[in-house]
Amino acid sequence: MVKAKKKPFEEIKQAIEGYTRVLNIGCGGCVSVCLAGGQKEVNLLNLQLNAAFSGENKATRVDSFTVERQCNEMFLIDLDKVVPRYDGLMSMACGAGVQLIAERYPDKPIFPAVNTIAVGVDRQIGIYEERCRACGECVLGYTGGICPITRCAKGLFNGPCGGTNKGICEIGNEIPCAWQDIYERLKEQNRVDDILKIKTAMQWQNQTRRMIVQDEYAGRYEDKK
Amino acid sequence: MSSPKNDNTVNTEAIREVLDTHRAKMKTALRVCAHCSLCAESCFLFHVHDGDPRYMPSHKFINSIGRLYKKKGRIDQEALEEISEIVWRRCVLCTRCYCPLGIDIPEMIALARNICRSQDVYFTWDQLEQEA
Repeated sequence: MVKAKKKPFEEIKQAIEGYTRVLNIGCGGCVSVCLAGGQKEVNLLNLQLNAAFSGENKATRVDSFTVERQCNEMFLIDLDKVVPRYDGLMSMACGAGVQLIAERYPDKPIFPAVNTIAVGVDRQIGIYEERCRACGECVLGYTGGICPITRCAKGLFNGPCGGTNKGICEIGNEIPCAWQDIYERLKEQNRVDDILKIKTAMQWQNQTRRMIVQDEYAGRYEDKK
Repeated sequence: MSSPKNDNTVNTEAIREVLDTHRAKMKTALRVCAHCSLCAESCFLFHVHDGDPRYMPSHKFINSIGRLYKKKGRIDQEALEEISEIVWRRCVLCTRCYCPLGIDIPEMIALARNICRSQDVYFTWDQLEQEA
């Protein structure tokens, strides 16, 4: 799932202090799971913001509204009646949610209250680990299930490079070499030959916006064109 | 199910207001449901729980938003928490459930969640740790 982390309080506060009535919109999806932008986090942030603005005799006041998923318009309908009452919006969803809200209410300034970090896994409550950068060219099948894009500092498709030293990456002592780990994993599986296969260079498809259309549904939308 | 607020008061008037704005859709959905159980086939949670009828989408919406509708929002904290148990623990809102009669079941579940949220009753993922 998408993982996010709340922005520093001062950054959030500064972004909205020029507005009188601000609606902080939470999301019940991924950011709720990673404890960054669900209803609980929205309520807590609002308490802190309102206390700070009140303490500084500033007029800004923040209300809350949490929708089930900000990345799906069907869950935004109830916002339509609420949003007109505010002169500024704040979103605690991932970047996708923020943009859908911005698209739906183009006359309202919107400010993200979280930084979207990664597609990741849940390690413990409150601890999440990045595992995927949505490159669009998954090679996990050849790398023993270890992502060289996420794990290797150079994002190499063919590794290891000359910067590996006893299993450690040249960029720092704490960083294990992803390709060393890939080698060990493949060796365990008797598939070490896979590492010798040269893979073509990454196309970096994630540098331009992508539209995902599942094959089974492609016909439906092509007919409409 | 968590209830982050300290008191157990439910603002039934606020619930009633939300219900009123969606009255027509709720009424139609509850009236149209033929209890055919075809929606169950489209729910992966129903299958994962070995066909437990409590996971049937129709059961979930009738016992959540249907209950709120019939009670006209006059519901206590305990009932609201029972409803939240249904709409969060027994439904992930994947929106894949299918009704041959055209009832928008996810919309009904989302509405029930909205009402719970309006009373500060909602599921939080850190409560899983407390329950473990």
